[in-house]
Amino acid sequence: MGLIQRAIEEIGIPTVSVSIVREYTEKVKPPRAVYLRWPFGHPFGEPGNVNQQAAVLGKVLEVFLTSNIPGEIVDLGWRWRRESYPEALWLSDPPRCKGSDPAPLKK
Amino acid sequence: MALKRAIHRGISFLAARIPALADKLVDSFHPMSLDDVPWTKVAKPLEESRFAIVTTAGVHHRDQPPFDMADKNGDPSFRILDAETIETDYTITHDYYDHKDARNDLNVVLPLARLREMVAAGCIGAVAQQHISFMGHIDGLHVQTLIHETAPEAAALLKKNGVDAVLLTPA
Repeated sequence: MGLIQRAIEEIGIPTVSVSIVREYTEKVKPPRAVYLRWPFGHPFGEPGNVNQQAAVLGKVLEVFLTSNIPGEIVDLGWRWRRESYPEALWLSDPPRCKGSDPAPLKK
Repeated sequence: MALKRAIHRGISFLAARIPALADKLVDSFHPMSLDDVPWTKVAKPLEESRFAIVTTAGVHHRDQPPFDMADKNGDPSFRILDAETIETDYTITHDYYDHKDARNDLNVVLPLARLREMVAAGCIGAVAQQHISFMGHIDGLHVQTLIHETAPEAAALLKKNGVDAVLLTPA
């Protein structure tokens, strides 16, 4: 994926990616990435979990907009199935567009 | 061939449930190591930007040819996804991850519904009509095909479509 990201950036379109294997991203060095240590096939989280998917997207866009270090990998540190995600601000109170962090899931 | 594919799918099923096995699979693949980093400045405000998604999750429309699972080095080709129909007309050809959840909710790998919500809220400008899908398992000589042919072709298509920003998602 990183090689494709590099080709798109090289043609003049800025890019951002979600990485779920940090080692690969460190080697291939795409311009901007958000890292989540989540299972393969789940870069945006669990099926049907709108708040979780929106939270990832919010952070991805924040990194897209603010990153100024080529090759930066931002580690969100969100644990798989152990976080509770609030409703995205742009869904509850548009046009607030900033992504929110989750809170630890209460057992 | 059917047996080989079944073995790959079985390993993918287990890797999704056993992190230590997933780590072993990660260690067994050695991606290209690069030094420089390409960089294009984000010049347009998000609320005016047209977004496209490029995924390597092996998603495609049902009437498109499936990715080649017989070649052990994978398939460097790509499929063009129509934003209007992909969510109701898709399948996934990719033996190297467990795509049960992505089959239930495409947003797990291709978050088009989440992007549309951001358009509706005025946070981003638009969602592109065309998105692009590869099958991420690419190795051997196909890596050169990807670098020199198919990835630049996909990039040129996005440029032609007036895309301002691209989000990439893995499998």
